[in-house]
Amino acid sequence: MKVLNVKDLHKEYYKDDKTSIKVLSNINFSVKKGECFVIIGPNGSGKTTILRILGLLELPTRAKIIYKGKDISKISRKDQVKYRRNLSFVKQKPVVRNTSVFNNIAYGLKVRGMKFREYVEIVNNIIDFVGLRGMENKNARDLSGGEMQRVAIAMNFVIEPEIYLLDEVSANLDPMNIKLLEEFIMKIKQDKEKTIIMSTHDPIEAIKFADRIAVLNDGQITQIGNPNEIFTAPKDEFTALFVGYENIFPGIATIDKKTGLNQIKINDLIVTASSQEEGEVKVCVRPESIGIVKNPPKNTSYRNTFKGQIENIRDLGNICHVIVSCGSEKFLTTITELSKKKLELKIGSHVFINFKATDVKIL
Amino acid sequence: MANEIIEGILEALRLMFTFDPELWGIIEVSFRVSLTSTFLAALLALPIGSYIGLREFRGKKTLTNLINTFMGFPPVVMGLIIFLLLSNTGPFGSLGLLYSASAMIVAQFFLAVPIITGTAKAAIESVDPMLKETILSLGANERQLWWELIKDSKKSIIAGFLVAFGQAISEVGAVMIVGGNIRWVTRTFTTSIVLQTRMGEFGMAIALGIILISIAFIVNYGLTRIQSRGS
Repeated sequence: MKVLNVKDLHKEYYKDDKTSIKVLSNINFSVKKGECFVIIGPNGSGKTTILRILGLLELPTRAKIIYKGKDISKISRKDQVKYRRNLSFVKQKPVVRNTSVFNNIAYGLKVRGMKFREYVEIVNNIIDFVGLRGMENKNARDLSGGEMQRVAIAMNFVIEPEIYLLDEVSANLDPMNIKLLEEFIMKIKQDKEKTIIMSTHDPIEAIKFADRIAVLNDGQITQIGNPNEIFTAPKDEFTALFVGYENIFPGIATIDKKTGLNQIKINDLIVTASSQEEGEVKVCVRPESIGIVKNPPKNTSYRNTFKGQIENIRDLGNICHVIVSCGSEKFLTTITELSKKKLELKIGSHVFINFKATDVKIL
Repeated sequence: MANEIIEGILEALRLMFTFDPELWGIIEVSFRVSLTSTFLAALLALPIGSYIGLREFRGKKTLTNLINTFMGFPPVVMGLIIFLLLSNTGPFGSLGLLYSASAMIVAQFFLAVPIITGTAKAAIESVDPMLKETILSLGANERQLWWELIKDSKKSIIAGFLVAFGQAISEVGAVMIVGGNIRWVTRTFTTSIVLQTRMGEFGMAIALGIILISIAFIVNYGLTRIQSRGS
């Protein structure tokens, strides 16, 4: 079920001399209920503007943004407030009101009409959860940067809205708060009634949370798809360069008691990794870490060797991208043009790919 | 001349410490008129000014220019206008307000409204736009947002009130014209100083001058303390 449907979104800013700057053009996407939709792109690509428009902090030059059958870009002020109460907008930079930590965190609940006795326990619980106990009566503006960030996180998450808009939230956070934020995001992701729309310039963050990713470049969406599609089959050079062209596979990890190594089952393949995470994971291998050989190597330090067939070769000057399908999965490898010639690689050739357990990144 | 000033100061001290009834009458009239007018002006100007500061609308620039012009409106001209309106032949002549404290309140009210409107508008506009957006995205409606912005900019708003009160209590042109400087009724600090100086009664004039400055100082000091406590 679609929560938000964005059609034909355009945004232009007008300067004093009446000339305009195009920030967003022809943006189309829809977000499903319960999913984590990540908008990824470099700084200045327009990610924040999209979120600001979805949060009604800015109006689009032209758009249809459908939420529950209504176009939110054309609703009355009263309905704008109603719509905003279904979402929370977490910004890069924390801003707090000139009052106590408790009052700051309680504000979203208070404006929604909750009475003190109704929200006191909820607010106290979240104060404990974010580790601000003992500071609840301090003025939030007197806190350190990291503590203020925690107040900002708590006050946005305590509302428990239907949609979370997270704008590059981890960009300025300290490691402890990044962990806290991740805990919140993971908790929300488990709730299938809640939807997350987040922006980031960090591909790793996108892989970690995204159910679907939209790649934004210079105000236009170049590709929308699940992380696997985006990272393994980027539609254009920008996307490929930006995302770092990774191999990403979802799998189930278990630790082999004999070797102490991690065995990750990806459909019919078992990948060996050195990390210790168990359960549902995402396996990432960078294309440049994968080698190609004609015959299966004996006595190698590479813990992963798979038989496969070359599906495609893309020449990129003195290097080329080779796509090898091994069983149910497709691996992308980067090799030099010279290696390609020496190994006489062609589409359809049978080869072996190999990579070290230590080159496998688990997310 | 120097002699007269020293004598004036001594006379001022005597009047103050003997609680001269006429002096206290003038103090009472001045305060009643200026506080009432500023307070009433704030009741009207605060919502208007903050609303203008909060919203974007067509003609806002023109309106801002107009408010700024009226902030420096010559009191004596305001006195003239109110005089014409309240005089027997004027449209509000039947109210019989001319040469009363009420007439002075009306004149000072119209002088204070643009000052408080302008400062309230500027105060609301000077709030960090990020704070405004945070409050909105936390689900506040327009009234709740307005209240938060008022709270956040209360220092500037109090300052605006102070400026308006300071102008009202030290203003002479308008109250002279519409109040008429009637002893015990409409005689204020300023109109009295004008009269006493003309009559050569420097003692009373200097006493009133000292008190006027002292009161201004005490009020400002007190309000500054309130402001700094609030931060």
